[in-house]
Amino acid sequence: MSNLPLQFEIHPSSGVPIFRQIMDQVRAQVASGRLKPGELVPSVRQMAIDLAVNMMTVSKAYSRLEAEGILERDRGTGMRVRAVTTLSASVADRQLELRELVEHMVTRGLQLGLTDEQIAAVVKTVLKERRS
Amino acid sequence: MNDNVIVEATGLCRQFGKTPVLRGLNLSIERGMVVGLLGTNGCGKSTLVKCLLGLLRLSGGSARLFGEDPWTLSGAAKARLGYVPQDVKLYPWMTVSQVIAYTAAFYPRWDFQLSEELLQRWDLPRDRRVGPMSPGQMQKLGLILALGHRPELLVLDEPVAALDPIARREFLKSLLEVTQDEQHTVLFSTHITSDLERVASHVALLKDGKLALFDDLDAVKDRVKRLRITTAQPLPGSFAIAGALRTEVEGTTALVAATNVNEPMLTELRSRWQADIVVENLNLEEIFLELHQQPARS
Repeated sequence: MSNLPLQFEIHPSSGVPIFRQIMDQVRAQVASGRLKPGELVPSVRQMAIDLAVNMMTVSKAYSRLEAEGILERDRGTGMRVRAVTTLSASVADRQLELRELVEHMVTRGLQLGLTDEQIAAVVKTVLKERRS
Repeated sequence: MNDNVIVEATGLCRQFGKTPVLRGLNLSIERGMVVGLLGTNGCGKSTLVKCLLGLLRLSGGSARLFGEDPWTLSGAAKARLGYVPQDVKLYPWMTVSQVIAYTAAFYPRWDFQLSEELLQRWDLPRDRRVGPMSPGQMQKLGLILALGHRPELLVLDEPVAALDPIARREFLKSLLEVTQDEQHTVLFSTHITSDLERVASHVALLKDGKLALFDDLDAVKDRVKRLRITTAQPLPGSFAIAGALRTEVEGTTALVAATNVNEPMLTELRSRWQADIVVENLNLEEIFLELHQQPARS
């Protein structure tokens, strides 16, 4: 597959910093298999010129993806999708990431006048549906 | 002084007659920054640019450009500088090629390959006389003259105001190519916030004669948010959040635009008021409106 920046779409006025938009899209493409392990992502320069965004913005996105273990720097050729993308974060870290969403949900549940058990029951039902 | 500070202003003041326009403005632009300058009409953007370049005398305070006083800028410093004014004025009897050759003669490091490439890309006929050219064509030519010697500092006063969308995009790409090595510094004023969001690393917002905001663009977007708050109990009229630009409270709901939103603060708000908070991202145009306290309710 070609490594053109064509699959990327940037909305400069969305309110989300552009480097985060690039990060989200690389993550999504890796998760969906459109970007395969070992594949080169577009060079910083090519991406910046084609999307008409600042080069520092693209390199910031790539550096953070490298720190996250999604991309790796291949000296001389550029950035590649890492061969094995393992979940490096601990269970506690991943739970912490979920916590924000749960707090939101719990607040709404209490506003709706539900009891603790009733709120927990909703979570269990959703999980059950997902597993089946 | 620090070699990496390209442009600096300390307590810069400028008044016209008795009307103060710039009131003790501080600014420090470092090498590699691409700074977008925003502000309402008549707030003093062009005045600031001209003061920084030594085209207007200061009424007070000081300015430095490449470490020199802009008013007595050396030829060597001028050779490192490219400037496109809001209104490009050139000798009307010359052709496009002649203006370029004439301008290039002043610069020891003129890049003819670049100016030729830009002429082609921006669709400017070489043998056209400058006199009858449209404002858009004049602006393109002005930009070529400013970019042609690959200046270390590029100062653009509303560079794209007269350009059509295609020419604007071509200009942005050229600007990005010229500035790609992070050794080049750019200061440009504009009203087109989406262009600024694409190319700028930093945003400066001029208001009431001072910079109301000067920060990394991504950092600004990450911390300036609008919160839609819904609580179980009605909120007191005194409800307030630190760093709020605007607060509207109505019963159990509140709409707040705040400059320093972060996770601990949201967690605190949620538990203290049993609040459900929706955090809305703001783009630069919305931030601009919020900073001018104009209701931008959607």
